[in-house]
Amino acid sequence: MPVVELTGVNKAYEGKVAVRNLNLSIDAGQMFGLLGPNGAGKTSSIRMMMGITMPDSGRIDLFGKPFERTSLERVGYLPEERGLYKKMKVLDQLVFFGQLHGLDALEARKRATDWAKRMEIAGSLDKKTEELSKGMQQKIQFIGSVLHDPRLIVMDEPFSGLDPVNAALLEKTLLELKDCGSAILFSTHRMDQVEKLCDEICLINNGEAVLAGRVREIKSRYQRNRIIVEFEGNANFLQSAEIAEAKNYSGHAEIRLNEHGDAQKLLHEASSMATIYRFELVEPSLEEIFIRTVEGTAHA
Amino acid sequence: MRNMLLIARREFLEKIRGRAFRISTVVVPLAMLLLLGGSFYASRNLIEGRHIAVVTDDPALGEQVRTELLDDTNAKLDVNVVTPGNEYVRTALLSQIQSRSLDGFLWIDAQDGGAVTATYTSASSGAGGTAARLSDALNRALLRRRLAAAGIPQSKVDALLTKVTVTSLPENRGGRTGGVNGRAAFQKAMLETLLLTLPILLYGMDMARSIIEEKSSRIFEVLLATAQPRDLLAGKLLGVGAVGMTQIAIWVAAAALFSGSSLAASMMNGGLSIHFTLAEGILFPVYFVLGFLLYSSLFSGLAATCETAQELQMYTPLAVLPTWFSFGILPLVINDPGSTWSVIVSLFPATAPFVMLARVGIQMPPLWQIGVSLGLLMLSIWAVLWISSRLYRVGILMYGKRATLPELLRWLRYS
Repeated sequence: MPVVELTGVNKAYEGKVAVRNLNLSIDAGQMFGLLGPNGAGKTSSIRMMMGITMPDSGRIDLFGKPFERTSLERVGYLPEERGLYKKMKVLDQLVFFGQLHGLDALEARKRATDWAKRMEIAGSLDKKTEELSKGMQQKIQFIGSVLHDPRLIVMDEPFSGLDPVNAALLEKTLLELKDCGSAILFSTHRMDQVEKLCDEICLINNGEAVLAGRVREIKSRYQRNRIIVEFEGNANFLQSAEIAEAKNYSGHAEIRLNEHGDAQKLLHEASSMATIYRFELVEPSLEEIFIRTVEGTAHA
Repeated sequence: MRNMLLIARREFLEKIRGRAFRISTVVVPLAMLLLLGGSFYASRNLIEGRHIAVVTDDPALGEQVRTELLDDTNAKLDVNVVTPGNEYVRTALLSQIQSRSLDGFLWIDAQDGGAVTATYTSASSGAGGTAARLSDALNRALLRRRLAAAGIPQSKVDALLTKVTVTSLPENRGGRTGGVNGRAAFQKAMLETLLLTLPILLYGMDMARSIIEEKSSRIFEVLLATAQPRDLLAGKLLGVGAVGMTQIAIWVAAAALFSGSSLAASMMNGGLSIHFTLAEGILFPVYFVLGFLLYSSLFSGLAATCETAQELQMYTPLAVLPTWFSFGILPLVINDPGSTWSVIVSLFPATAPFVMLARVGIQMPPLWQIGVSLGLLMLSIWAVLWISSRLYRVGILMYGKRATLPELLRWLRYS
């Protein structure tokens, strides 16, 4: 039974289509990436899942039942724009969020304290939110969204504002939550994280799903026409007729071959001009697939 | 319901703990006290302790005027009689005024035919109150002299000139529970109107500001994932309203304590004794709650359509105009609480909370008028809440720009 399932969902604002015939389904213990350029319809889709707005047509099921507000007590939500009471103390704020999700004050306080230790912000519980850094506030917002042990966690750009150390801590925590059976949907522009964390993705553009499925399967649909070269010497081989596009970073080049480009021929040309340390034919990155799909230049 | 109460509780606790609450709770009554005390002190000092010279060619008349002035125990004047009056004396007195050793002089010219003219010269052009007292004292002295000249014995003259203080007794009290003079009635009406307008407007605007802050901090997005817009709005109204009630309760308790103080006793002796009726005690919280709901729900809806506090300021006249109008018409209501204008203004929902209570305090209006005023207020609150909740529901999720009028009308149509 999917934790959340959208079937033929449509939403328009004042005549402008925000979401068109969207279908997606997320199972328990799955990490799902909702991707798309700005204004594609990601936030509109998430708001409908959270009952903040209602679809014009289509169906949204949560935990196997048509959407009802009581189901939201089992959902955690981290919106893109962080929302915290600036003048409120961190612990009071977390207890308040926990209570809104159905916890009693005592339990919410206990869980908030435990989570604060886990996210390494225990020393800030008595501080006002406005006294904390953006990254710290981000962690508080995250705790507020998972305090009630939700079965579905919806996160819009969860890594924004975090330094690499804290981003790694959040990644680790998300994977632990996933292992505990929570379904996690996150929307982001950070393709490296999607590639690393997500089992499935759905790419939406202009309100429509244009690419959906398991990450591995999607990547396998694309030709291995990307080459990474590490070299020393003459870089003129990057002008080869086999190449459609090349980025040279002083001895490290990322190359995309022409549709009929020959990698062996390119290797021959390169080795005749420079010393080659690495010549690797790789599958396209998710970022490249994203850009190609959005620009309508994808080669299936 | 649970979420609504949680939101109300948070609003209440956060505002009660806030510095703004502590400051306004202390500063507002202190400011009012200073204002009342200041005007009381100023009115007492208008003439008290002044040094005045009475200049006349008739020493007996001068002494009589002096006696009349010294009889005014509130004034505590220092009065010299100077006779006769001539240019040398005038020049000397003027130089004394300049050197501040004299506050002013009353120059009395008695003509042969019995006609008397008098002028008061002082350093200050705003000595109207002093001149009125001097005029009263001179007239009483002349009257005393004329009555004596007509052969009336001194004892009868004293009896005829015994001072009488007029005390106004509202008709519905039947004179049973003590009198209320006009000044006290005015002070009471002002006090009640101030006590209602200040918290209603302060907390109405405060609620609007907090909606804009929460909108700009995007907290609504988090809250809406657990609570419905109507719970958010109702919770905020309930919480902020409770803060206002708490503040008024503190002020009333402080006023009760103050009423036992020596300053209050002094003021009450001065004719500022204020008594509240049971009807006022019951209707005050009712009109506060209804007034607060009307203005706060109006501002909540408008705030949801704004992006910044500056944009909200555009709507400030909506709150300020009815208040100004209420204060402006208050003297008319106090003088004639049953007039058509008084009735209309006390029934009109935007001014009813401020004016009806003043009417109740001065002259109990017919019960049907109170009923109609409450009914119209509740009807208006329902209508304003209907509109505001629709604007609020859509507006709190709209970012980037202020909504135009056609957009607002479209928001109202969203179900």
